[in-house]
Amino acid sequence: MRSPTRTAFGAIFRNEVLLNSKRVAPYAMAALFGGNALLWWGWGPAASRGLATNSDHFIAEMMPVFSFMTLPLFTAVIMGDPVIRDFRAGVTPLIFSKPVGRATYLLGKFFGNFFVLVCCQLVFPLTFFLFQWVPKSGLLVQPPRVLPYFKHFLILIVVTHLVLAAVYFTVGTLTRNAKIVYGLAVSFYPLYISYQTLLLRSLPTRWRIALDPLLMNLSLNARGRSAEFLNQLAVSYDSDVLANRAAMILAAGLFLTFLYVRFSMVERVRKEEDDGRLTTIDLRPDRVVSGVESSSFDRPAQVEEVIRGERVAIPKVGTASEGVGASLEQLTAALGIELRLLSAERGLVVLVPTATLLCVAGLAYFEAVPGETHTAAYAARTAESVLLFLAAIAVFFTGEATARDRELRVEPVLWSAPAPNFVLLLSKFSATLLLCVAFSLVVGLAAIALQIFRGHTPFEISAYLKAYSLILIPSIVFLTAAAVALNVLLRDKYVAYAMSFAVGGALLYLFNNGYNHWLYNPVLYGLWTPADLTDAASNQTLIITHRIYCLAMASLLLSLAHLCFERKSTKGLRSQGRLSGAGWSLLIMSLSTVTAVITGLMINV
Amino acid sequence: MLAVKELTKTYPSGVRALKGVTLEVPAGMFGLLGPNGAGKTTLMKIAATLLEPDSGGVEIDGVDLIAHKKSARRMLGYLPQEFGLYPTLTAEQTLHYLAKLKGVLDDKERRALIEALLERVNLSSARAQKVGGFSGGMRQRLGIAQALIGQPRMIIVDEPTAGLDPEERVRFHNLLSEIAGENTVVILSTHIVSDVSNLCGRMAIIRQGEIIASCTPREAMGRITGAIWEATLPREKVLALKKSRLRIVSSQMFEGRVRVRAYSKDERPGEEFSPALPSLEDYYFSVAGQPESAN
Repeated sequence: MRSPTRTAFGAIFRNEVLLNSKRVAPYAMAALFGGNALLWWGWGPAASRGLATNSDHFIAEMMPVFSFMTLPLFTAVIMGDPVIRDFRAGVTPLIFSKPVGRATYLLGKFFGNFFVLVCCQLVFPLTFFLFQWVPKSGLLVQPPRVLPYFKHFLILIVVTHLVLAAVYFTVGTLTRNAKIVYGLAVSFYPLYISYQTLLLRSLPTRWRIALDPLLMNLSLNARGRSAEFLNQLAVSYDSDVLANRAAMILAAGLFLTFLYVRFSMVERVRKEEDDGRLTTIDLRPDRVVSGVESSSFDRPAQVEEVIRGERVAIPKVGTASEGVGASLEQLTAALGIELRLLSAERGLVVLVPTATLLCVAGLAYFEAVPGETHTAAYAARTAESVLLFLAAIAVFFTGEATARDRELRVEPVLWSAPAPNFVLLLSKFSATLLLCVAFSLVVGLAAIALQIFRGHTPFEISAYLKAYSLILIPSIVFLTAAAVALNVLLRDKYVAYAMSFAVGGALLYLFNNGYNHWLYNPVLYGLWTPADLTDAASNQTLIITHRIYCLAMASLLLSLAHLCFERKSTKGLRSQGRLSGAGWSLLIMSLSTVTAVITGLMINV
Repeated sequence: MLAVKELTKTYPSGVRALKGVTLEVPAGMFGLLGPNGAGKTTLMKIAATLLEPDSGGVEIDGVDLIAHKKSARRMLGYLPQEFGLYPTLTAEQTLHYLAKLKGVLDDKERRALIEALLERVNLSSARAQKVGGFSGGMRQRLGIAQALIGQPRMIIVDEPTAGLDPEERVRFHNLLSEIAGENTVVILSTHIVSDVSNLCGRMAIIRQGEIIASCTPREAMGRITGAIWEATLPREKVLALKKSRLRIVSSQMFEGRVRVRAYSKDERPGEEFSPALPSLEDYYFSVAGQPESAN
């Protein structure tokens, strides 16, 4: 009997693991899950409730919550497009021409990717498992144990996500559209919450457990029990839970069977391939070129008809690529294209709704501190909660925008056009900036709606305006400019991501440990309070000065990016009697530096 | 007229792509022939202002392309060997965008221009389709359309017919011939000899970063007239011939035997050989080196 690793299934499985090992997403997910486990271990509910961090009950209680939080989205990221990727890369004809059956191909793909997903998810219980040996004051730890981590992980996470994975994989493979999968992943939360609220809540406990795919209603006999009791509790699964899990596995099997029945290895016929006119070209010959017998090809009747017709002349047009007006028009055109391309980014469908959801969820349970005005408190909370996401969005989408032209090999065509470099750079900068502003405005509007809905009045728009104009917008400008500069200087989006993550993480660590200063805190993290958004604020001059400092730094970074941009248009600082692009860059860099030094000195005083 | 003077380029990897290339390209179609890795694309990229040479210069009608890239880009139409397009944009959106970057800012003019270009490359009915769904030939046609925006004085087409079917190839050649006029230089970089012999008034052959021949196709043929011989021989005999001093320009397997074309200016190379009509391919192989032989 052949070893499974030497079968076609084994080859496809291994290839999927290999392909995923070269993607950023699995590593990012693993890091995120590890970080999540670290937070829940040290600063989670165990400490506040007196539960042992390695008690059987606490481990079992954490798993469904972890499963619910963001995992449906991450499952979609891994499971949504394995087959789509093959079609997109054009590998399918090579694979399908080999003696590989549909079932082998689909199962190899599915289980290869599911294995990667489980490996990423496993980082969560593994981190908890390892932290049994890490002492921390205020945490209760029982003698180390092994089995509960993996038993609960298998029952409560792996089986749940097997079904989700099967659904996403089926939808992605059959529609060949990753956006539909991501849309499905995002809509999971409203659907699941509605299902819980409208259907499950009214059912007896037994049915609530049996019909809950995430087992969020699993009470584990814990209601009203003391921490001492729960720490000694050994969790076991009753027949309802096991029936639920068996049904989940069966459902996954049914989805995969449906996929097997519906999936076709035959190339889909594109609309344009059906259209006879499109297989010809209207470069009608006045003469037949010698050496190539074009008449030897059978032409459809309509082509012959076209050949007899009149040739369309290419009209002469006026061109203007000099002057401010022409450059602005080019910039507008480039910005329009960048926004269109940005809206087609798959990450946008996942990242921005998730960020919005999390920000709004944070605001929904937020209670203002006595002494603050409601509006100032809400506006401040909004600014604080979106800042971290803004940094992530600015870094990620700037990286995508700056690397896109190279990845799609559009650069030779674009760069041979007579558009100035600043048009190409500023369009990317502005597109990301607009995206960040739009995201923060959506959260801001949600915060206003929540504030009014919860009756936390009076509502004052000025506090929101101050939060946006003084805190958020200048920070977004700086973050995006820094991301553009990093991407241009490093010329690799992944290195830029890593660098941003490292610098951002290090600064956050320093700020949280008290090493916080206005001069090296461009986003004002921890340096302002809700009181600064009221009319009685005493700190406003300092904040305004700092924002000018921050904008000057942003301008300096953008000029630096322009100066170091790979595409060269002129040599020297002057060209044809005027300042060249490099000349303008140096001039703006000098002015920005002077402004930054002056405002920096004012801040330091 | 395009003038290339003493152009050199060495890549950071140490590869010397151009070794003092000097070339004069008059208005009309000009073919640049050479095997893969000869330096064609490097030369094209420098002429398209996308690559800085180490030394030397390129001028078109007196404008220094290296020093005044922006001016050069205004008169340039470029169809790279490998290029991509934004998959989520339609053909029409792509052309509008590139036309704006080219400086065609008047809406009415631009619409008329794009209408005509789409018509000429027969993409009118696919104008609203996303480029991501285009076939290779359709993408190439869109590439051709964008290179024609704004009456370019110099059009550089680098291996343009890859991915086109024979019929489209012929029509593409005809379009290029129409565009190449008194005031327009069209440089066709290719390794397909028949493309050059069909289209170009002048040609050059580049090998290992050096121009080894520059003439008209007619002159090239004249240089080998009466010196090309052909024979169909058993394989063993061909191997023996290769060891002799005879200059074999091409050899090809045919029904189990090898059809050999040889260059011999003064005498008949052997009894099996008979005189053959020369082709540009013979000239190319005799100058650029022997093709892969059938052995």
